[in-house]
Amino acid sequence: MKITKKIVNKIEGEASLKIYGDKKVDFVEIEFWQYRGIENYLINRPIMDALVINPRICGICGHSHLFATVKAIENAVNAKISKKAKILRDITVGLEIVENHIKWFYITLFPTQIKDKKYIFKANKFATLISKAIALIAGQYPHNSYMIPGGVTCDPTNLEIIKLKDLLQKIYEKYQEEIIDLNMNSNDLRVFFENLPRDIGKSVNRFLVLGNNLFFKKNGDVSLVKEEKNTSLSKNVLYNNLFVEVGPLARNIENQNIKKIYDKYKDSIYTRIIARIYEGLLILKYLIKKVKEIDICEPSYIKPEIYDGTGISAIEAPRGSLVHEIKIKNEKIANYNIIVPTQFNLSSSQDKNNLSAAQTAMIGEKKEYLDTIFKCFDICAVCVSH
Amino acid sequence: MNEATIAKIKERLASLRKLPGIGEKSVAQVLEEHGFTRRDFLKWSAAMAVMLGLPTKFSPLIAEAAEVSDRLPVVWLHLAECTGCSESLIRNDSPTIDNIIFNFINLQYHDTIMAAAGWQAEENYEEALEKFAGRFVLCVEGGVPTKDGGEFLTIGPNAETGLEKLKRTAAKAAAVISVGTCSSFGGIQAAAPNPTGVKGVYQVINKPVINVPGCPPSAKNIVGTILYVILFGALPAVDNFNRPKFAYGLRIHDLCERRGHFDAGEFVEQFGDNGAENGFCLYKVGCKGPYTFNNCSRERFNQHTSWPVQAGHGCIGCSEPDFWDSMAPYEEPLANHKFASASVDATADKVGATILTVAGVAIVAHAALSAIKNPKE
Repeated sequence: MKITKKIVNKIEGEASLKIYGDKKVDFVEIEFWQYRGIENYLINRPIMDALVINPRICGICGHSHLFATVKAIENAVNAKISKKAKILRDITVGLEIVENHIKWFYITLFPTQIKDKKYIFKANKFATLISKAIALIAGQYPHNSYMIPGGVTCDPTNLEIIKLKDLLQKIYEKYQEEIIDLNMNSNDLRVFFENLPRDIGKSVNRFLVLGNNLFFKKNGDVSLVKEEKNTSLSKNVLYNNLFVEVGPLARNIENQNIKKIYDKYKDSIYTRIIARIYEGLLILKYLIKKVKEIDICEPSYIKPEIYDGTGISAIEAPRGSLVHEIKIKNEKIANYNIIVPTQFNLSSSQDKNNLSAAQTAMIGEKKEYLDTIFKCFDICAVCVSH
Repeated sequence: MNEATIAKIKERLASLRKLPGIGEKSVAQVLEEHGFTRRDFLKWSAAMAVMLGLPTKFSPLIAEAAEVSDRLPVVWLHLAECTGCSESLIRNDSPTIDNIIFNFINLQYHDTIMAAAGWQAEENYEEALEKFAGRFVLCVEGGVPTKDGGEFLTIGPNAETGLEKLKRTAAKAAAVISVGTCSSFGGIQAAAPNPTGVKGVYQVINKPVINVPGCPPSAKNIVGTILYVILFGALPAVDNFNRPKFAYGLRIHDLCERRGHFDAGEFVEQFGDNGAENGFCLYKVGCKGPYTFNNCSRERFNQHTSWPVQAGHGCIGCSEPDFWDSMAPYEEPLANHKFASASVDATADKVGATILTVAGVAIVAHAALSAIKNPKE
């Protein structure tokens, strides 16, 4: 049997695929060859240092990692936060998801089918606008530490909230106009699928949502998540001993519009892609509603009492469920563990009866579609190599 | 800057202009298509001149340098990093002229934002190294793992280590720019216990390297440095850590909007208190602005919208070497810290040194007070 090795780049880093088979993929192994060791640096540091270090796990989803860190510490020390702080956190993490989806679609996925720089410009234009909205609350994007256990450090004025409302509305309108509208019409999506079948890349059909931020509802229990070693520098992640799919399709499968597509195409590449870009619009709609509920008179921060303990948090990040676990001893970090969404979707299993979502989607498909199918999971090699 | 310098720059730009560009369109045409007038472009050039610390009479030259920027290819290498620097870059300044200029730069290879992928990307890379040997600008993002021969980072179809790829590329580059703290000094990967033996680029290659640190650095500092290289064909004036002085000449503290409160002794004692609501100085909740050289307080981020201190969190000192270890803990004041940058930099502008002495005394005084009065209570 022919075995080929393929390097996939432009995924915020690189992965290598070991592909078995001639024209069609009989089997595939996914490998990541970077390692940075963030979990090691955290040990023995003061707990608050995790707030500064963890956003650097990923420059693309810094706020999600910050949010997961803060929630893990809050769970360990039983902290309370105000409604205002909760909404402000939702806005930054929500906007981060939106701008990630746009960049993924136009910068990562589009070039696998269409090579045209104008789409890269388009994504950058949106990213710039969205970052500005995030920076209004967080001070800077990417990488900021404005969330702390007990709330947030910022105290936005009425003027800033008005600016934020205005920006959100503007982004929402532009999104409908240029990317996808509420009825799921998208010119760019049509262009993308001009020469690509819509029903390829069907996967495991098991969906997991562990976080309950924004409007997402969790359907699983984080204690059933298990990590195991694989042949490369990343780790496999199983839920209840099975591989699952996390991400926008998992989160929005109950949405009526997405359900219709799912009924027709199942968990194929088309359903996965449309779920992701449509989710951006749903999040913006939700945030426009939430921003009106901000009461600037509420406190930004409620001081928690710090004592030793273990805290685990799961949130919904752009690519899916993100898990952080902290063990605190004498106000220092005794242990820290991070499980990222790409690990769930891109585990590399040797057991042919229990394969990961990305492996299942690629097996049996023509090799020429491999790049697009692989990337439709929105991979982040940076996160995996934490 | 005298007339001879200007004449030299003009000569250089004229020779660059003779080289072939990448497309049929000129920068001016591309800008016009995106709705920018010549006037917008000149305004941008003037702002860039100010940022680079050049007299305003240089602004037409900057405009000209931007126009020929596609003649100098740029190769962008990703090593051990989080892609935050690229993320910072692609959200360039308003009205996104920088963005267009950057995209117009002959970007032969950039893992995230290039249009090519797979074998095509690899081909572009090798071609750039061959065709533009001795002419291209190499931008490096990320630290270099060196332990066990650098095997913690392998890139490309031949499983080349990051270290090998960097050496091979740097040997052929005309100039090397380290973008971000990771490539400048090792960054987060190099924090204790540094399990993968990460080093800064300047520590592993035998070539002058210009460091543009920050986690992430502002887009202005990145584009500014690249433009400077195009403009002068040389590296800008640097401090003792090889950081361009135009961006890293002053401390965060010197131009901080909360500086008045520091001088008046008005501090945030803990997050969420009255001081925090009133925008007092964040020194006692861990701001490292007094020890950090960068222009964040002046240039801000995300189209000049804001910066960390404005959002109520102190500066973490991200443009300083080893800040992950030497500046921690981040939410506690660091009263008796040595000014790593200034004390060894004889040229870090005497003005800055004078300010330092005064501010240094003030910091020690405040620190003494906070020792009596626990800031957490």
